[in-house]
Amino acid sequence: MPEISGYAFPNDVHVHWSLMIVMYPYITGFVAGAFIVTALYHLFGKKEFEPVARLALATSFCFMAIATFPLNLHLGHAERAFNVVVTPHFSSAMAGFGLLYSGYFVILLLEVWFVYRREIIETARRSRGVKRVFYAALALGTYDTSPEALEIDHRAVKLLSAFGLPAACMLHGYVGFIFGGIKANPWWSTPLMPVIFLLSAAVSGIALLVLLYQVTAKLGRRPIERETVQAMARWLWFFLILTVTLELLEIVLLAYENSDAWHIISQLLTTRLEFSFISVQMIGGSLVPFILLAIVVTMNAYLHDRVRNTLASVASLLLLVQVFSMRWNVVIGGQLLSKSFRGLRSGYQPSLFGREGVIVAIALFVLPFVLLWVFDRVLPIEPAAAPSDPRHEPAAEPARRTA
Amino acid sequence: MESARHVFRVLFLLLVVVVIFSVGRTFLVPKSYGAYGPYRFDNVAEQAAIRPPQHGGSASCGACHAERLKAVAAGAHRRVGCEVCHAPLARHVQDGARIAAMPVDRSFTLCARCHRRIEGRPAAFPQIVLAQHQGGVEGTACIDCHAPHSPKL
Ligand code: HEC
Ligand code: HEC
Ligand code: HEC
Ligand code: HEC
Repeated sequence: MPEISGYAFPNDVHVHWSLMIVMYPYITGFVAGAFIVTALYHLFGKKEFEPVARLALATSFCFMAIATFPLNLHLGHAERAFNVVVTPHFSSAMAGFGLLYSGYFVILLLEVWFVYRREIIETARRSRGVKRVFYAALALGTYDTSPEALEIDHRAVKLLSAFGLPAACMLHGYVGFIFGGIKANPWWSTPLMPVIFLLSAAVSGIALLVLLYQVTAKLGRRPIERETVQAMARWLWFFLILTVTLELLEIVLLAYENSDAWHIISQLLTTRLEFSFISVQMIGGSLVPFILLAIVVTMNAYLHDRVRNTLASVASLLLLVQVFSMRWNVVIGGQLLSKSFRGLRSGYQPSLFGREGVIVAIALFVLPFVLLWVFDRVLPIEPAAAPSDPRHEPAAEPARRTA
Repeated sequence: MESARHVFRVLFLLLVVVVIFSVGRTFLVPKSYGAYGPYRFDNVAEQAAIRPPQHGGSASCGACHAERLKAVAAGAHRRVGCEVCHAPLARHVQDGARIAAMPVDRSFTLCARCHRRIEGRPAAFPQIVLAQHQGGVEGTACIDCHAPHSPKL
C-alpha cells in the first residue's frame, strides 16, 4: 500500500499511468529525434550527417514500428487499438493520435522507400526465385534507375523530409500536449510541456545515434568519421542546453511566482523525486554531459579522436538516462502529488514481472534494435558497394570527409 | 515523365490504401458511433441493460408495506426515501419476492447524519446539538423518543 504524507484525496493515491506510460514518450522520442537527424542531412544539407542519415532513418522507422506497444500493454486490450485509427477526431488529444501516427507512418514508409529504391532494384536484379519476387514487389515492378529517376527520388526524399519533420514534431509534441493539457495537475499543466518533450526527444535521438553510429561502424569495421561525431556532439549540446533551460525555466517560474502549487511541487522535488530529478536528471544527466560535450565542442582542435569519441559516448549514455528520468519524473512525479496540493504519495515502484513491469520495459527497449538488425538484413543500412551512383558513395572512404 | 513512373505507382498504391481504408472503415466503425459525440451511442443502452436499477423508490415499498408508507407519508419524514434509511430495494426483493432481510439501522448515527448541527446546513432545517439535545443524546438511540417513520413529537 502506498503511504500518504500530508492530506491526499482518496482517488489520488494510485499511480495509474505506469512504467509503460513512461516508456511511451521515451520510445516515440527516439522516433522524432532520429528523424531530426535525417532531416538535418536531407533537408538542411548538413553534409557531416551523411554517414548517419540512413541509420537515423532506419532507427526512426524501427522505433516507430513498436511505438504503440507500450500503450497497448498499458491498456491491455490490443484488439481495440485499431479503433483509435478508424475513428479519429480532435475532441481529445489522445484521439488525435490515430491521425498523427498514421500520417507520420505513411511519410516514413515513403521516405524509406525512396531512399532505398535503388538498392531494392539492384537486389532484385541480382537475385533469383522468391527473393527476386519479394524485392520486385518492393520495387513496385519498375526498375528505373536512370539518373533522372534517381534525381526524382532525391527530390521526393527532400519533400518527404519537409513534411516528415513537422509530422515527427507533432507526433511527439502531442505526447507532451497530453500532459501539458491536464489543468488539474500543476506539475504537468504548462504550455512548455510539448516543447520540452520535443527538445528532449531530439536529445535522446541524437544521443542514441552517437552511440549507434559508433557501434555499427565498429561492427562493420568502418572508420568513425570525426566530422560526424563532432557535428552530432555539437547539436546534442545545443539541444541539451535548450531542454535543460526550459525544464529549469518552468520550475524557476513556479518558485519565483511562489504559486499555490509551488508548496507541493517543491516538496515533491526535494523528497519523492530527490534522486530521480536532482541527482539523475539535473546533475548526472544534464550537468555532467553538458561539461563533457562542452569539452568536445570547444576544444575540438586539441582532441584525439579516441578522446572525442569516448567523451561523446559517455555523454550520450548519460543523456539517454537523463531523458528517461525526465519522462519518469513527469509521468510518475505528476501522480505522486495530490490535487489537494497538500499531500504526497510514497514513491512508485514498478513490478518486476507482469504486463507493465520492468522486464517488459527492457524488452520493449531492446526490440527496436532487433528490428534494426532485421531491417539491415532486408535493406542494408550501409550499402556495401554502389559504384554506379556518385551521390551515394559508400561510407568506407575515410580520407574524403576528414579534410 | 517517363522517369517518374515509380512515383505514380507509389501514389497509386497510396490511393488504393486510402480507398481500402475508407471502405474498410465503414465496416469497422460501429453504426451508432458519432450519433451524439465521438462514442458508440448504443453502448448507453447496453450498459443500462446489464446494470438493472438497484433502487425502486418509496412507492415500490408500498406494494408490500402499504401501512408504513402511509405512516411515513403523513409524518415529518415524508420527503425522506425509505431506501435512504434502509437499503436499496434489490437487496431485499427480487422478482416480487423477499430474498433477504432489509437492514435496519437503529443507532443514533443514522439520524445524526442528517440532523447533527453543521454550519453548512440551511438554518431552517431541524438540527440539534448532540451534546445539548435533551441533556445530551450522543450515543443514545434517538428512536427511544422519536418514531423513525413519523419523528415529530
Ligand atoms: C428516517 C429513517 C427511516 C425512514 C425514512 C424509513 N424507515 Fe423504516 N425504519 C427505520 C428505523 C430506525 C426502524 C427501526 C424501528 C424500531 O426498531 O423501532 C425502521 C423499521 C422499519 C420496519 C420494521 C422493521 C422491524 O423489524 O420492525 C419496516 C417494515 C420499515 N421500517 C419499512 C419502511 C418503509 C416501507 C419506509 C418508507 C415508506 C421506511 N421504512 C422509511 C428508519 C426509517
Ligand atoms: C414483495 C413485497 C415487498 C416489498 C416490495 C418490500 N418488502 Fe420489505 N418486507 C417484505 C416481507 C415479506 C417482509 C418480512 C415480513 C415483515 O416483516 O413484514 C419484509 C420486511 C421488511 C423489513 C424488516 C426487516 C426484514 O427484512 O425482516 C424492512 C425494514 C423492510 N421490509 C423494508 C422495506 C423497504 C424499505 C422496501 C422498499 C425499498 C421494502 N421493504 C419493500 C416484503 C416486501
Ligand atoms: C436522510 C436524512 C434524514 C435522516 C437519516 C433522518 N432525518 Fe429526520 N428529517 C429529515 C428531513 C428532510 C426532515 C424534514 C425537515 C423539514 O420539514 O424541513 C426531517 C424531520 C425530522 C424531525 C421533525 C423536526 C421538526 O421539527 O419538524 C424529527 C424529529 C426528525 N427528523 C428526527 C429524526 C430521527 C430521530 C432520525 C433517525 C431515526 C432521523 N430524523 C433521520 C431528514 C432526515
Ligand atoms: C429523551 C428523548 C429524546 C431523545 C433520546 C432524542 N430526542 Fe429529539 N426531541 C425530543 C423532544 C422532546 C423534542 C421536541 C422538543 C424540542 O424541540 O426540543 C425533540 C426534537 C427533536 C428535533 C427537532 C428540533 C427542532 O429544532 O425542530 C430533532 C431534529 C431531534 N429531536 C432529533 C433527535 C435526534 C437526531 C436524536 C438522536 C441523536 C434525538 N432527537 C434524541 C426528545 C428526544
